[in-house]
Amino acid sequence: MVTKMTTQQEGAVWELKEGEIRQPGIVHVVMTALFTGVGIVVGALGSLSVPLGFISAFWPGQAIQAVGSIWYGMWGGIAAAVFPLIANSLSAAAPLPVSIAYMPGNFAQGIIGGWAFRFFKADPSLKTSKSWLVFTFGAIIVPNIIGGAWGSTVLRMFGLITPAAHLVTFAGWVVGNSVASWVLGAILLRFVSPLVIRTKAFCKKYWA
Amino acid sequence: MEKFHSESIGATNVENLQFNVPIRRMRRTLLGTVPVESPLYSFHPVTRFFSLILLGVAPLFIDTPELNVLWIMLILLLMIYGRVDMSRLKIYVPLIFTVALFMFSIAILLPGEDPTYIPFKFMGITIYYQRIFWALVSYVRVMALLFGSIQYFLTNRETDMLVSLQTLKVPFPVTYFVGLSIRGADMFMQDMKTIREAERARGLDEGSLAFKDRAKLYAMYMIPLFTLAIRRADEIGNALFVRGYTFAGEVLGGGKRTSTVMNLYQFKVRDTFLCALQVGLFVTMAILQLKFSQFRIDHSPLNAYFLSILT
Repeated sequence: MVTKMTTQQEGAVWELKEGEIRQPGIVHVVMTALFTGVGIVVGALGSLSVPLGFISAFWPGQAIQAVGSIWYGMWGGIAAAVFPLIANSLSAAAPLPVSIAYMPGNFAQGIIGGWAFRFFKADPSLKTSKSWLVFTFGAIIVPNIIGGAWGSTVLRMFGLITPAAHLVTFAGWVVGNSVASWVLGAILLRFVSPLVIRTKAFCKKYWA
Repeated sequence: MEKFHSESIGATNVENLQFNVPIRRMRRTLLGTVPVESPLYSFHPVTRFFSLILLGVAPLFIDTPELNVLWIMLILLLMIYGRVDMSRLKIYVPLIFTVALFMFSIAILLPGEDPTYIPFKFMGITIYYQRIFWALVSYVRVMALLFGSIQYFLTNRETDMLVSLQTLKVPFPVTYFVGLSIRGADMFMQDMKTIREAERARGLDEGSLAFKDRAKLYAMYMIPLFTLAIRRADEIGNALFVRGYTFAGEVLGGGKRTSTVMNLYQFKVRDTFLCALQVGLFVTMAILQLKFSQFRIDHSPLNAYFLSILT
């Protein structure tokens, strides 16, 4: 349900209140680790669900990447880069060297959403149409295009796909990630953000 | 049979009091279970971690498919030696087939253009030999790499991984992060199981739901799951804080952090030998391929045989 909010109200979640001090702490490391654990499960299950060779037709793990970075800034970005390494190894979706090469793309798939929400001061609870737009384009479509371009290039560099198959692989990556992640990400942001925003682990800037 | 308090090292023990039958004690690993008496556990976790680097990365240097097939057989033999429950591998069967289908389909349907490619006909379709053979090379190499990682995760627990990282002097925040991530994955799975059981106890029959409703149900599970994870993060963060752990992993007030788990394992002479052997083998293979191209496709007997037929 979309409500009318003023731009000021919408962006208020990202502003530090008077006298408020936020610093990185051990709770951020713990939250990053637990989020990585969640990502491992979601990523591994997604890879095993509808595998199409090296890509999955259904990979909701990107939602974990985007949502993690929206809530926890750089900490979410770290989780976004690290969890596919373990998820791919557990689900045998990609060999370890390929997963390591994927890391910059995975980091981008996470952090771009976090940047977009902070830059455009969008509401993480998706209460306005602007926040829905930022989520759809800034946290799902654009990151998956960049991640897909990187990932398909990695596959080509390792000789796992032919140059002629590069575009098909890229398209499959983008679609397989985007659809599943949009659904899961919307549910998480809509229903869990109000709880997360009240915790001390929530990052208004990138590290705290 | 004596009671065995197993949580500290993750073994499970089921007593069969009625029939007095000795039950095999199993140790839960990251992917399955391995018997507690598995010979692999006589080796230090660092030795087993080096096997991940060797078996899971070294096939990158090998182009000849015959060698990678032998590599896969070696890994499977290692799993049998370790008394791994081989039925766990069946979850990878769909992936093994889909990867093959994907790679060979791409090689046939989108081979690209190169005047040096040798075409041949198969069931009316023009196939280019170099493309299909390269697909075979890549496929076998990927399988070797994947099995190399799978054997490690099938035979090692989170504790083993932590001990190996700590032995290799990886900074505490990193080892703690890795351990908690894997533990977090396990907790997430347990929470999901608990929530589903609670729904069933309330009368939910998942089997009678339409696919769309089931998908919606699973998606909505994320809400309580994430709520639990967030609450847990707060609790763990507070617990670490009251125990004096700092952001950098140091103990407030100074002093050495105790690690009882490190005392459970002993680094023996044969571990030193095996670690050196594995590192040496890895470096040798890298040099043989990168400097002397010893594992190129040209050295493949299978390639030579096919080329002799086609040309």
